[in-house]
Amino acid sequence: MNGLSLTKRLADAVFETAYLSLITLFIAFSVIPVIVAVVLSFDARGFIGPFPPTQFSLRWYESFMADSYYHDGLVTGLIVATVATLVSTVAGTFAAIGLSRADFRGRGALQAALLSPLVVPNVVLGFGMLIFASRLGIIDGMTRLIMGHILITFPYVMRTTAASLVGIKASYYEAALSLGAKPWKALAQVTLPLARTGILAGAVFGFVTSFDDVGVSLFLTDAFTFTLPVAILAQMRANLDLTIAALSVIFIVATVLLIVLLDRLAGLDAVVGRGVYGR
Amino acid sequence: MAVLELQNITKRFGGAAAVDNVSFEVGRGEIVALLGPSGCGKTTTLRMIAGFEWADEGRIFIGDADMALRQPYDRNVGLVFQDYALFPHMSVAQNIAFGMKNRGVPRAEIGRRIGEVLGQVQLPGIAERRPSQLSGGQQQRVALARALVTRPDIMLLDEPLSNLDARLRLQLRREIRTILSTFDCTSIIVTHDQEEAMGLADRIVLMNRGRIEQIDAPHDLYQHPKTLFAADFIGHANWIGGTLARRGVGAGAVETALGSIGVAPGAVADGPVTLCIRPERLALVDDETGVDTRLAAVVERHDPIGADLRIWSRLTDGTLVQSLEKNIGRELPAPGSAVILGFRVADCIVLPGARP
Repeated sequence: MNGLSLTKRLADAVFETAYLSLITLFIAFSVIPVIVAVVLSFDARGFIGPFPPTQFSLRWYESFMADSYYHDGLVTGLIVATVATLVSTVAGTFAAIGLSRADFRGRGALQAALLSPLVVPNVVLGFGMLIFASRLGIIDGMTRLIMGHILITFPYVMRTTAASLVGIKASYYEAALSLGAKPWKALAQVTLPLARTGILAGAVFGFVTSFDDVGVSLFLTDAFTFTLPVAILAQMRANLDLTIAALSVIFIVATVLLIVLLDRLAGLDAVVGRGVYGR
Repeated sequence: MAVLELQNITKRFGGAAAVDNVSFEVGRGEIVALLGPSGCGKTTTLRMIAGFEWADEGRIFIGDADMALRQPYDRNVGLVFQDYALFPHMSVAQNIAFGMKNRGVPRAEIGRRIGEVLGQVQLPGIAERRPSQLSGGQQQRVALARALVTRPDIMLLDEPLSNLDARLRLQLRREIRTILSTFDCTSIIVTHDQEEAMGLADRIVLMNRGRIEQIDAPHDLYQHPKTLFAADFIGHANWIGGTLARRGVGAGAVETALGSIGVAPGAVADGPVTLCIRPERLALVDDETGVDTRLAAVVERHDPIGADLRIWSRLTDGTLVQSLEKNIGRELPAPGSAVILGFRVADCIVLPGARP
């Protein structure tokens, strides 16, 4: 009896150790590359030498600031991400509201079609959009990029908005109507404010996805218009130096800022409105 | 003059009629309950009056205006939802102001009316709270205030008390009644709870399977039900099946398994009928008591239900019946003892048809 419980306790200890080791390994695996990139971005050496660096400097950041190629990529990337996210946020929100109300055959199929860019490989989307744009006679890189990025950001907004709409009781909208609000007003003053967490989360995810994208962008850039990840890829092939590490750090900082922003917005909602599900 | 009039309203979902040829009127200041079991069409009727569903046939008038083409926001109807539907992202004051803003009430007037209506529902000083910070009963009253403050032609209340516990329900029933009469507001209350309907309404529209069974004042509905469904749905009842045979004009007799039972003259045609005797009209009697019908029975058990004792007895044909005795310390026949149950002709309601 005692022996059995001892065996059981031993098994528990083994399992727990294995479990913790796995988690530690996973965290190390995802964090170490980030640390390496951050440290290397401050490396004072002019070549990629053994880790850790012996001296530190800001030369790679200066090199990034001085390089108009990266600069152009950053500006283009921000413009594309901003415009695409804005369009997707408006379109995705209304698509989600429409689908949540709709009751027709093929509703599920339509929803799946609108969400499909999430599962179709970006390379396929990019190539498809390239062919489509050239058929339409669109050869301008900026227009093509924005079109492509709307395609990949739209599903994020639609999905998160649809999820938050599920939690909003139909009686809120009907109460607004019975209190004399026209449908657009009931939407603007009741439904949309209650769904704002989902809409904002979708917009932030969409923005990050767009800013980060390589697969779609690779096909849609032209000689003068390219996004930052595409610029990095091209530079890496041409002359590999640690400017890329400096860029990575900028990327990481920007992403962290966006996540903090998202948390603030979602957290704020919990304080102000007791969330969508609150009574 | 009728504030609301429904004329032959029919609504079908798929092939089945959820509301089937329903007509009734509601007078100014009147409180009418739509009562019935779930699925009887009462909520659909309410939603058609509010404008959220469209009638397939028939017409709805509010005041003199035909509602056929009016959207919900173009009808001057106040709605209190079962879940209250207070906007969670707005304060109590913003919730109450919402309807007035849409109807173009001036800003200063809005502020004045918010204070006034919160006083009328006895919730002063909660204007800046969020709905989530209010108790169920308070939310209920804010929902009432939000609808009443726009001065609607008619108030519609959907199961207003179903989300509250029993004690609060009783208290709020009185308060709702008081508030509605303060505003002298014509109201329709949808409920499946007969006590709620009896306690709140001037008249009850009893519905079953999309049709109206009976429209009457609460007391009349209980005392003079016209159908088996009405007698069964409202209150408790004892049933005795039989065949009505009238002896000329006037009083008749119903032949039952328990013998012939005399009944009062009435509108019911000869043929299969069911007698309904309310438990409080069926009494333990002795030889001296003046009753018209006596039935031999054996007591099975007593159920104490507070003010009364419910006594279950079995008649000679095996029917289980219930009678009420005041719980005043009098000694009652123990289970197993033979008793005589009696009732008068006036206590016996004759209903057409046999119970299934």
